[in-house]
Amino acid sequence: MKRLLDPETTTGGASPAGVLIAITLLVFLFLFPRMVSDPYTLHIMILLFLSTIMGQSWNILGGYTGQYSVGHAAYFGTGAYVTMMLMQYRQVPPWYGMWAGMAVVVAVALIIGSICFRLRGPYFVLASIAVAEIIRLSAINLKEITNGAEGILITEIPPFKLGETVITDFLTKVPFYYIGLVLALLTIVITWLVQRSKLGYYFQAIREDQDAAHSLGINLTFYKNIALIISAMLTSLAGSFYAVYVGFIDPPTVLGLDISVEIVLICIIGGIGTIYGPVIGALVLVPLSEALRSNLIASAIFKTGIVSEESGIGNFLKENLAHAHTLIYGILVVVVILFMPDGVLGFFKALTAKKHKEAA
Amino acid sequence: MAILEIKHVSKFFGGLAANSDVSFEMEQGMVMGLIGPNGAGKTTLFNCITGYYPPSKGDVVFDGRSMHGLLPDKVCKLGMVRTWQKVRPLAKMSVVDNVMVGALCRTGSLKKARDMAMEQIKVVGLGQRSGFLAGGLPIGERKKLEVARVLATQPKMLLLDEVMGGLNPAESEEIIHLILTIKNLGITQMVIEHDMKAIMRISDRIVVLNSGEKLAEGTPQEIVGNPNVVAAYLGSE
Repeated sequence: MKRLLDPETTTGGASPAGVLIAITLLVFLFLFPRMVSDPYTLHIMILLFLSTIMGQSWNILGGYTGQYSVGHAAYFGTGAYVTMMLMQYRQVPPWYGMWAGMAVVVAVALIIGSICFRLRGPYFVLASIAVAEIIRLSAINLKEITNGAEGILITEIPPFKLGETVITDFLTKVPFYYIGLVLALLTIVITWLVQRSKLGYYFQAIREDQDAAHSLGINLTFYKNIALIISAMLTSLAGSFYAVYVGFIDPPTVLGLDISVEIVLICIIGGIGTIYGPVIGALVLVPLSEALRSNLIASAIFKTGIVSEESGIGNFLKENLAHAHTLIYGILVVVVILFMPDGVLGFFKALTAKKHKEAA
Repeated sequence: MAILEIKHVSKFFGGLAANSDVSFEMEQGMVMGLIGPNGAGKTTLFNCITGYYPPSKGDVVFDGRSMHGLLPDKVCKLGMVRTWQKVRPLAKMSVVDNVMVGALCRTGSLKKARDMAMEQIKVVGLGQRSGFLAGGLPIGERKKLEVARVLATQPKMLLLDEVMGGLNPAESEEIIHLILTIKNLGITQMVIEHDMKAIMRISDRIVVLNSGEKLAEGTPQEIVGNPNVVAAYLGSE
């Protein structure tokens, strides 16, 4: 019989060692830009934060409530577009625009949720994909307001002022680093709070068994909608952040199906329904996709000498491996599902539990 | 006054009448046995009473209020909960968390819910198991967990769907004691059961369903002596 060792689902307090590690890590993360000023390293860190936010927000709906959305790009892209359109065409600074983005996203989520959550089965998954595609196609075709396939490029971000003092003018990556860090911490804290509340219990009950949950007084449609709204708002926030950070959006980069899939992957690879899962997922996926993009993997293969750079296969790898990230993601998912059904986090937990048993 | 009135309830699935014109009443605090051969419509009746299916015809009145159009979560809030023939533990949650989900229907505070849950876990005798994952419990304890979970919703009435199914005699005996304990708490119970000895011991009255219709109703003694019931179970000559 399985004794519950995992303190995450019970309200057992954190161990002193855990608290110490967390504080050290936080101090390290806050001091990081003072120690490292290399823009590429900061860029990778910002992508890590962004992926954590995206994965964590999907986690609330998919991991805790068991409602799988493969259309989170709808919320990501809508948040990004609303923020960018307001900034570029109405001169609304993004720290106000992101709220507007969230408001629009809540409306979209409520429409999908209140229709699909009345039904059981695959309807929500299918509808989530469909809605994301509808929004993507609308963004391409409503040229007057979204600038269509050309996308929106920010010419300048207004400096962030408090009174008359300029806090930051967004000229380096450092302000984005801190915003990303704070947002990532915020989503983690929100997930933690949800997990330790009535909401968290109800979400997990719905995930485990809808009929049982319903019979115990849980209004299924209502609580699924709450989960969707929290999840969609945080995803929208990630979208706004991404848009302002990169400075350019177009329909495929913020509304494409691959964004939706990537959001799901971060969570599944890390371990769904756990607080640290999406963080681990981001730590796996971001370096992997960067390595592929910058052809690190191809050059590593050439260095081992198995394939020479000049041979036909070498050329083929050099040309194609950088674009093969979808294929690699696919392989990764198969590996995770086959060998670590509870994600990387679950895999290592099971491993340490086994060691404990052997030691005892 | 009757706490539950089943008024001419019928439920059709296409042309098939799973329940047809079933009527009976239950008094506060009693244990009603609901028996009948397989496919007699017992579980369908449970589903109609607790809001899983709307009855095709007729009405269910609980505590003076029509259940017409109410979904199971609302029915639970009004004080009527059911358990499942095929147990439904929230597998990846601990035993105490499972029962807390029930208790949270009456409180928003996790601390209060935990206290309420621990109390019910002790009532059903799962005190040693509160920290275990529900998915890892053996069947006898899963059945007890179901009962603890519904008790935590502070019901006026319980509907127990084959809580003794698949249990060994010792475990069944524990469940019988549990049902009698719950009766002493003043909670009304309707019990579907196939074990005739058990149902005769716990029930104040029994309703017999056959092919969706009410075949007989009465005290256990009356039911045992009813030739129609004997015919339905053993076949007529």
